[in-house]
Amino acid sequence: MAQQLAIIVLVDIGGALRDRTLDDNVYVFDNMRFQGSTGEGTGDLVTAVNGSYWSDGSQGTEQVLNWLPYALGGIPPTVPRGYAAERSRQIDQQALDDLRALADGADDEAAGGVNRIRRDIGTRVRSTRGARGLTSRKVLDVTGRPVSGADAAAAHNYATPIITDITGEAVDEKIIYPAEYGSPDMVTDGWYWSATIDTARPGTYAYTMHVQLHELVERDAGLRWEAVDLTCEARLRVVTEPKRNAFTGGGLGLLPVYPAPPAAPAAPPA
Amino acid sequence: MPSKSKKSRPGTDRPISITAVVDCVGALASRSLHGNLYLYDTNRAAGSTGLGTEELRTRVRAGDRLLWNVISLECETYAAIDAIVVDPEVCEPERHTYPGTDITYWTATVKPGAPDVAHYQVRLRLGTRTEPITTTLRPALVG
Repeated sequence: MAQQLAIIVLVDIGGALRDRTLDDNVYVFDNMRFQGSTGEGTGDLVTAVNGSYWSDGSQGTEQVLNWLPYALGGIPPTVPRGYAAERSRQIDQQALDDLRALADGADDEAAGGVNRIRRDIGTRVRSTRGARGLTSRKVLDVTGRPVSGADAAAAHNYATPIITDITGEAVDEKIIYPAEYGSPDMVTDGWYWSATIDTARPGTYAYTMHVQLHELVERDAGLRWEAVDLTCEARLRVVTEPKRNAFTGGGLGLLPVYPAPPAAPAAPPA
Repeated sequence: MPSKSKKSRPGTDRPISITAVVDCVGALASRSLHGNLYLYDTNRAAGSTGLGTEELRTRVRAGDRLLWNVISLECETYAAIDAIVVDPEVCEPERHTYPGTDITYWTATVKPGAPDVAHYQVRLRLGTRTEPITTTLRPALVG
Protein backbone atom coordinates (compact mmCIF):
# COMPACT_ATOMS: atom_id res chain seq x y z
CA MET A 1 0.00 0.00 0.00
CA ALA A 2 1.26 3.45 -0.85
CA GLN A 3 2.38 5.68 1.95
CA GLN A 4 0.04 8.66 2.44
CA LEU A 5 1.77 12.02 2.84
CA ALA A 6 -0.47 14.90 3.96
CA ILE A 7 0.23 18.53 3.22
CA ILE A 8 -1.76 21.13 5.14
CA VAL A 9 -2.07 24.58 3.56
CA LEU A 10 -3.08 27.06 6.27
CA VAL A 11 -4.11 30.41 4.78
CA ASP A 12 -4.36 33.68 6.71
CA ILE A 13 -7.35 34.68 4.63
CA GLY A 14 -7.76 38.14 6.13
CA GLY A 15 -4.14 38.94 5.33
CA ALA A 16 -4.27 37.39 1.86
CA LEU A 17 -7.42 39.29 0.88
CA ARG A 18 -5.93 42.52 2.18
CA ASP A 19 -2.53 42.05 0.49
CA ARG A 20 -3.94 40.26 -2.59
CA THR A 21 -1.12 37.74 -2.33
CA LEU A 22 -0.38 34.53 -0.46
CA ASP A 23 3.22 35.66 0.15
CA ASP A 24 3.64 35.80 3.95
CA ASN A 25 -0.02 34.75 4.31
CA VAL A 26 0.29 31.00 3.90
CA TYR A 27 1.80 28.40 6.23
CA VAL A 28 2.41 24.91 4.87
CA PHE A 29 2.97 21.70 6.86
CA ASP A 30 3.44 18.03 6.16
CA ASN A 31 3.72 14.89 8.28
CA MET A 32 7.15 13.91 6.95
CA ARG A 33 9.40 15.92 9.26
CA PHE A 34 10.92 12.64 10.51
CA GLN A 35 12.02 11.94 6.94
CA GLY A 36 13.73 15.30 6.64
CA SER A 37 11.09 17.77 5.44
CA THR A 38 12.13 21.36 6.10
CA GLY A 39 10.32 24.68 6.46
CA GLU A 40 7.41 23.23 8.42
CA GLY A 41 4.81 25.89 9.17
CA THR A 42 6.33 28.44 6.80
CA GLY A 43 5.68 29.55 3.23
CA ASP A 44 8.75 27.56 2.10
CA LEU A 45 7.99 23.92 2.77
CA VAL A 46 10.22 21.27 1.22
CA THR A 47 8.58 17.87 1.60
CA ALA A 48 11.00 14.97 1.82
CA VAL A 49 9.80 12.00 -0.23
CA ASN A 50 11.73 8.81 0.33
CA GLY A 51 12.39 6.45 -2.54
CA SER A 52 10.42 3.56 -3.86
CA TYR A 53 12.39 0.76 -2.21
CA TRP A 54 11.72 -0.69 1.19
CA SER A 55 14.53 -0.66 3.72
CA ASP A 56 15.13 -4.36 2.92
CA GLY A 57 15.85 -3.46 -0.73
CA SER A 58 12.63 -4.81 -2.23
CA GLN A 59 10.60 -2.80 -4.72
CA GLY A 60 8.15 -0.42 -3.03
CA THR A 61 4.94 1.10 -4.29
CA GLU A 62 4.58 4.76 -5.19
CA GLN A 63 3.97 7.49 -2.64
CA VAL A 64 0.73 9.46 -2.47
CA LEU A 65 0.33 13.13 -1.54
CA ASN A 66 -2.89 14.70 -0.23
CA TRP A 67 -3.38 18.47 0.09
CA LEU A 68 -5.74 19.89 2.73
CA PRO A 69 -6.37 23.67 2.69
CA TYR A 70 -7.54 25.30 5.96
CA ALA A 71 -8.49 28.86 6.98
CA LEU A 72 -6.50 30.47 9.79
CA GLY A 73 -8.79 32.13 12.30
CA GLY A 74 -11.92 30.41 11.07
CA ILE A 75 -14.09 27.65 12.45
CA PRO A 76 -11.65 24.71 12.58
CA PRO A 77 -11.89 21.80 10.13
CA THR A 78 -12.71 19.39 12.96
CA VAL A 79 -16.38 20.44 13.10
CA PRO A 80 -18.68 17.93 11.36
CA ARG A 81 -18.76 17.78 7.60
CA GLY A 82 -21.08 20.39 6.06
CA TYR A 83 -21.16 22.36 9.32
CA ALA A 84 -22.13 25.69 7.76
CA ALA A 85 -25.05 24.14 5.86
CA GLU A 86 -26.18 22.22 8.93
CA ARG A 87 -25.99 25.36 11.07
CA SER A 88 -28.14 27.20 8.54
CA ARG A 89 -30.84 24.55 8.98
CA GLN A 90 -30.53 24.66 12.78
CA ILE A 91 -30.86 28.44 12.81
CA ASP A 92 -34.03 28.32 10.67
CA GLN A 93 -35.49 25.66 12.96
CA GLN A 94 -34.66 27.73 16.03
CA ALA A 95 -36.36 30.77 14.50
CA LEU A 96 -39.51 28.72 13.90
CA ASP A 97 -39.43 27.38 17.45
CA ASP A 98 -39.05 30.92 18.77
CA LEU A 99 -42.01 32.03 16.67
CA ARG A 100 -44.07 29.15 18.03
CA ALA A 101 -43.19 30.14 21.59
CA LEU A 102 -44.24 33.71 20.84
CA ALA A 103 -47.51 32.54 19.31
CA ASP A 104 -48.33 30.48 22.39
CA GLY A 105 -48.59 33.68 24.40
CA ALA A 106 -50.21 35.80 21.70
CA ASP A 107 -53.83 36.45 20.71
CA ASP A 108 -55.68 34.08 18.38
CA GLU A 109 -54.98 36.13 15.27
CA ALA A 110 -51.21 36.17 15.84
CA ALA A 111 -51.16 32.47 16.72
CA GLY A 112 -53.10 31.66 13.59
CA GLY A 113 -50.66 33.69 11.53
CA VAL A 114 -47.65 31.86 12.92
CA ASN A 115 -49.28 28.48 12.33
CA ARG A 116 -50.00 29.48 8.72
CA ILE A 117 -46.32 30.41 8.26
CA ARG A 118 -45.28 27.02 9.62
CA ARG A 119 -47.62 25.24 7.21
CA ASP A 120 -46.34 27.31 4.28
CA ILE A 121 -42.72 26.51 5.10
CA GLY A 122 -43.49 22.81 5.30
CA THR A 123 -41.25 20.10 6.66
CA ARG A 124 -37.74 19.57 5.49
CA VAL A 125 -36.00 16.26 5.46
CA ARG A 126 -32.69 16.34 7.23
CA SER A 127 -29.99 15.98 4.61
CA THR A 128 -27.05 13.70 5.10
CA ARG A 129 -25.13 15.34 2.28
CA GLY A 130 -23.53 18.29 3.98
CA ALA A 131 -21.52 19.83 1.19
CA ARG A 132 -23.27 22.83 -0.34
CA GLY A 133 -22.32 25.97 -2.12
CA LEU A 134 -21.44 29.08 -0.17
CA THR A 135 -24.44 30.97 -1.50
CA SER A 136 -27.00 28.61 0.04
CA ARG A 137 -25.58 29.06 3.53
CA LYS A 138 -26.16 31.68 6.15
CA VAL A 139 -23.28 33.95 7.04
CA LEU A 140 -21.80 32.72 10.32
CA ASP A 141 -19.27 34.37 12.57
CA VAL A 142 -16.11 32.60 13.78
CA THR A 143 -18.02 31.04 16.68
CA GLY A 144 -20.74 29.53 14.48
CA ARG A 145 -23.43 32.12 15.28
CA PRO A 146 -25.35 33.94 12.53
CA VAL A 147 -24.42 37.50 11.69
CA SER A 148 -26.40 39.89 9.52
CA GLY A 149 -26.34 43.34 7.97
CA ALA A 150 -23.23 45.45 8.38
CA ASP A 151 -21.92 43.05 11.06
CA ALA A 152 -21.68 40.25 8.51
CA ALA A 153 -18.93 41.87 6.49
CA ALA A 154 -16.95 42.73 9.63
CA ALA A 155 -17.34 39.51 11.57
CA HIS A 156 -18.05 36.65 9.15
CA ASN A 157 -16.19 33.38 9.29
CA TYR A 158 -13.92 33.15 6.26
CA ALA A 159 -14.83 30.49 3.74
CA THR A 160 -12.42 27.55 3.64
CA PRO A 161 -9.90 28.03 0.84
CA ILE A 162 -10.20 25.77 -2.17
CA ILE A 163 -7.35 24.35 -4.25
CA THR A 164 -8.35 24.59 -7.91
CA ASP A 165 -5.20 23.26 -9.59
CA ILE A 166 -1.64 22.10 -9.00
CA THR A 167 0.90 22.93 -11.69
CA GLY A 168 4.60 23.66 -12.11
CA GLU A 169 7.90 21.90 -12.50
CA ALA A 170 6.97 18.75 -10.59
CA VAL A 171 3.92 18.28 -12.84
CA ASP A 172 5.71 19.22 -16.09
CA GLU A 173 8.54 16.80 -15.25
CA LYS A 174 5.95 14.07 -14.55
CA ILE A 175 7.15 13.63 -10.99
CA ILE A 176 3.61 14.02 -9.65
CA TYR A 177 0.25 13.32 -11.26
CA PRO A 178 -2.20 15.53 -9.34
CA ALA A 179 -5.98 15.34 -9.62
CA GLU A 180 -9.00 16.25 -7.56
CA TYR A 181 -10.91 13.39 -5.97
CA GLY A 182 -14.20 13.03 -4.16
CA SER A 183 -14.49 10.81 -1.12
CA PRO A 184 -16.45 10.41 2.07
CA ASP A 185 -13.62 12.30 3.77
CA MET A 186 -14.84 13.72 7.07
CA VAL A 187 -13.03 17.05 7.13
CA THR A 188 -12.86 18.48 3.63
CA ASP A 189 -16.48 18.25 2.46
CA GLY A 190 -15.50 15.30 0.32
CA TRP A 191 -13.14 16.94 -2.17
CA TYR A 192 -9.40 16.95 -2.03
CA TRP A 193 -6.36 17.13 -4.30
CA SER A 194 -4.12 14.14 -4.39
CA ALA A 195 -1.13 13.00 -6.44
CA THR A 196 0.98 9.95 -6.92
CA ILE A 197 4.73 10.54 -6.97
CA ASP A 198 7.33 8.95 -9.21
CA THR A 199 10.09 8.34 -6.69
CA ALA A 200 12.51 6.88 -9.23
CA ARG A 201 14.03 10.26 -10.13
CA PRO A 202 15.68 11.94 -7.16
CA GLY A 203 15.79 15.72 -7.12
CA THR A 204 14.03 18.81 -5.82
CA TYR A 205 10.97 19.88 -7.76
CA ALA A 206 8.81 22.97 -7.23
CA TYR A 207 5.06 23.00 -7.70
CA THR A 208 2.42 25.73 -7.62
CA MET A 209 -0.85 25.50 -5.73
CA HIS A 210 -3.70 27.53 -7.19
CA VAL A 211 -5.83 28.60 -4.25
CA GLN A 212 -9.25 30.20 -4.48
CA LEU A 213 -10.41 32.38 -1.59
CA HIS A 214 -13.84 33.92 -1.19
CA GLU A 215 -14.40 37.50 -0.18
CA LEU A 216 -17.73 38.74 1.21
CA VAL A 217 -18.40 42.07 -0.48
CA GLU A 218 -21.35 44.45 -0.53
CA ARG A 219 -22.59 44.95 -4.06
CA ASP A 220 -25.97 45.94 -5.52
CA ALA A 221 -27.35 46.52 -2.01
CA GLY A 222 -26.55 42.96 -1.00
CA LEU A 223 -23.71 40.76 0.18
CA ARG A 224 -21.97 38.51 -2.31
CA TRP A 225 -19.16 36.01 -2.16
CA GLU A 226 -16.57 36.83 -4.80
CA ALA A 227 -13.74 34.50 -5.77
CA VAL A 228 -10.13 35.67 -5.45
CA ASP A 229 -7.59 33.42 -7.16
CA LEU A 230 -4.03 33.38 -5.81
CA THR A 231 -1.05 31.03 -5.99
CA CYS A 232 1.72 29.81 -3.72
CA GLU A 233 4.67 27.46 -4.14
CA ALA A 234 6.15 24.53 -2.30
CA ARG A 235 8.74 21.90 -3.20
CA LEU A 236 9.21 18.15 -3.14
CA ARG A 237 12.62 16.64 -2.46
CA VAL A 238 12.70 13.10 -3.78
CA VAL A 239 15.59 11.09 -2.30
CA THR A 240 16.80 7.52 -2.64
CA GLU A 241 16.40 6.77 1.07
CA PRO A 242 14.07 3.80 1.54
CA LYS A 243 10.59 4.29 2.83
CA ARG A 244 10.40 3.45 6.48
CA ASN A 245 8.02 3.22 9.38
CA ALA A 246 8.23 6.26 11.67
CA PHE A 247 7.52 4.16 14.74
CA THR A 248 9.90 1.26 14.17
CA GLY A 249 12.50 2.79 11.84
CA GLY A 250 12.16 -0.31 9.66
CA GLY A 251 10.19 -1.00 6.50
CA LEU A 252 6.44 -0.81 6.28
CA GLY A 253 5.92 -4.54 6.67
CA LEU A 254 4.90 -6.33 9.81
CA LEU A 255 5.18 -4.42 13.06
CA PRO A 256 7.55 -5.98 15.62
CA VAL A 257 4.75 -7.22 17.84
CA TYR A 258 5.62 -9.88 20.37
CA PRO A 259 3.82 -13.19 19.77
CA ALA A 260 3.21 -13.26 23.53
CA PRO A 261 3.78 -10.69 26.29
CA PRO A 262 7.38 -10.71 27.53
CA ALA A 263 7.80 -12.88 30.59
CA ALA A 264 7.53 -11.09 33.92
CA PRO A 265 10.85 -10.68 35.74
CA ALA A 266 11.57 -13.35 38.30
CA ALA A 267 10.54 -12.53 41.85
CA PRO A 268 13.47 -11.53 44.08
CA PRO A 269 14.67 -14.24 46.47
CA ALA A 270 12.87 -14.18 49.78
CA MET B 1 -1.78 47.99 27.23
CA PRO B 2 -3.27 50.82 25.15
CA SER B 3 -7.01 50.90 24.66
CA LYS B 4 -8.79 50.38 21.38
CA SER B 5 -9.37 53.72 19.69
CA LYS B 6 -11.91 52.44 17.19
CA LYS B 7 -15.41 52.37 18.63
CA SER B 8 -17.48 49.35 17.77
CA ARG B 9 -20.34 47.54 19.38
CA PRO B 10 -19.05 44.71 21.54
CA GLY B 11 -19.03 41.37 19.79
CA THR B 12 -19.71 42.71 16.30
CA ASP B 13 -16.19 42.60 14.86
CA ARG B 14 -13.98 39.59 14.28
CA PRO B 15 -11.88 38.57 17.30
CA ILE B 16 -8.13 38.07 17.07
CA SER B 17 -7.85 34.33 16.53
CA ILE B 18 -4.89 32.44 17.95
CA THR B 19 -4.57 28.99 16.39
CA ALA B 20 -2.42 26.22 17.82
CA VAL B 21 -1.34 23.80 15.09
CA VAL B 22 -0.18 20.68 16.88
CA ASP B 23 1.75 17.68 15.61
CA CYS B 24 -0.14 15.22 17.79
CA VAL B 25 1.93 12.20 16.82
CA GLY B 26 5.18 14.04 17.58
CA ALA B 27 3.85 15.40 20.88
CA LEU B 28 2.54 12.03 22.01
CA ALA B 29 5.74 10.24 20.99
CA SER B 30 8.01 12.72 22.80
CA ARG B 31 5.51 13.52 25.57
CA SER B 32 6.22 17.18 24.98
CA LEU B 33 4.85 20.01 22.88
CA HIS B 34 8.36 21.34 22.34
CA GLY B 35 9.05 21.24 18.61
CA ASN B 36 5.54 19.96 17.95
CA LEU B 37 3.52 23.15 18.29
CA TYR B 38 3.13 26.02 15.83
CA LEU B 39 1.22 29.08 17.05
CA TYR B 40 -0.34 31.62 14.68
CA ASP B 41 -2.64 34.59 15.03
CA THR B 42 -4.60 36.83 12.70
CA ASN B 43 -3.00 40.07 13.87
CA ARG B 44 0.33 40.03 12.03
CA ALA B 45 -0.56 43.29 10.26
CA ALA B 46 -0.85 45.01 13.67
CA GLY B 47 2.58 43.76 14.77
CA SER B 48 2.31 40.19 16.05
CA THR B 49 5.62 38.33 15.81
CA GLY B 50 6.90 34.77 16.24
CA LEU B 51 4.22 33.23 14.03
CA GLY B 52 4.82 29.53 13.52
CA THR B 53 6.78 29.19 16.75
CA GLU B 54 5.92 28.28 20.33
CA GLU B 55 6.69 31.84 21.40
CA LEU B 56 4.06 33.73 19.44
CA ARG B 57 3.75 37.34 20.57
CA THR B 58 0.25 38.54 19.78
CA ARG B 59 -0.22 42.31 19.56
CA VAL B 60 -3.30 43.26 21.57
CA ARG B 61 -5.01 46.32 23.00
CA ALA B 62 -7.33 46.61 25.97
CA GLY B 63 -10.81 45.63 24.85
CA ASP B 64 -9.64 43.25 22.12
CA ARG B 65 -11.50 39.95 21.99
CA LEU B 66 -9.29 36.87 21.65
CA LEU B 67 -10.26 33.40 20.42
CA TRP B 68 -8.02 30.34 20.78
CA ASN B 69 -8.62 27.15 18.83
CA VAL B 70 -6.58 24.18 17.71
CA ILE B 71 -5.84 22.34 14.46
CA SER B 72 -4.22 18.91 14.47
CA LEU B 73 -1.74 17.98 11.74
CA GLU B 74 -3.27 14.51 11.72
CA CYS B 75 -6.93 15.24 11.14
CA GLU B 76 -8.02 11.94 12.67
CA THR B 77 -6.30 12.68 16.00
CA TYR B 78 -8.13 14.27 18.91
CA ALA B 79 -6.70 17.59 20.09
CA ALA B 80 -8.39 20.19 22.29
CA ILE B 81 -7.33 23.08 24.49
CA ASP B 82 -7.72 22.09 28.14
CA ALA B 83 -6.82 25.50 29.60
CA ILE B 84 -5.24 28.85 28.85
CA VAL B 85 -3.11 29.68 31.88
CA VAL B 86 -2.77 33.47 32.11
CA ASP B 87 -2.73 36.14 34.81
CA PRO B 88 -6.43 36.97 35.49
CA GLU B 89 -5.44 40.64 35.60
CA VAL B 90 -4.80 40.36 31.86
CA CYS B 91 -7.83 38.36 30.75
CA GLU B 92 -9.97 35.46 31.89
CA PRO B 93 -10.34 32.86 29.12
CA GLU B 94 -13.57 30.87 29.01
CA ARG B 95 -14.30 27.62 27.23
CA HIS B 96 -17.11 27.42 24.65
CA THR B 97 -18.27 24.92 22.06
CA TYR B 98 -19.23 25.54 18.45
CA PRO B 99 -23.06 25.21 18.44
CA GLY B 100 -24.26 21.71 17.67
CA THR B 101 -20.82 20.13 18.17
CA ASP B 102 -18.49 19.13 20.99
CA ILE B 103 -15.57 21.01 19.40
CA THR B 104 -14.29 23.64 21.82
CA TYR B 105 -12.69 27.06 21.60
CA TRP B 106 -11.65 29.60 24.22
CA THR B 107 -12.38 33.32 24.30
CA ALA B 108 -11.29 36.25 26.47
CA THR B 109 -11.31 40.03 26.42
CA VAL B 110 -8.10 41.92 27.20
CA LYS B 111 -8.62 44.00 30.34
CA PRO B 112 -7.58 47.63 30.73
CA GLY B 113 -4.36 48.13 32.67
CA ALA B 114 -2.82 44.81 31.61
CA PRO B 115 1.00 44.77 31.52
CA ASP B 116 2.76 45.40 28.21
CA VAL B 117 3.97 41.80 28.04
CA ALA B 118 1.80 39.05 29.49
CA HIS B 119 3.12 35.51 29.08
CA TYR B 120 0.71 32.59 29.18
CA GLN B 121 0.66 28.84 28.69
CA VAL B 122 -1.60 26.59 26.65
CA ARG B 123 -2.59 23.19 28.04
CA LEU B 124 -3.67 20.65 25.42
CA ARG B 125 -5.45 17.31 25.54
CA LEU B 126 -4.15 14.98 22.84
CA GLY B 127 -5.20 11.57 21.60
CA THR B 128 -6.23 9.16 24.34
CA ARG B 129 -3.64 10.47 26.80
CA THR B 130 -5.43 11.16 30.07
CA GLU B 131 -3.11 13.90 31.32
CA PRO B 132 -2.95 17.22 29.42
CA ILE B 133 0.36 18.50 28.06
CA THR B 134 1.42 22.10 28.73
CA THR B 135 3.55 24.31 26.50
CA THR B 136 7.15 24.50 27.66
CA LEU B 137 7.95 27.81 25.99
CA ARG B 138 5.55 30.64 26.68
CA PRO B 139 3.63 32.67 24.10
CA ALA B 140 2.68 36.21 25.10
CA LEU B 141 0.14 38.97 24.65
CA VAL B 142 2.04 42.21 24.04
CA GLY B 143 0.75 45.78 24.09
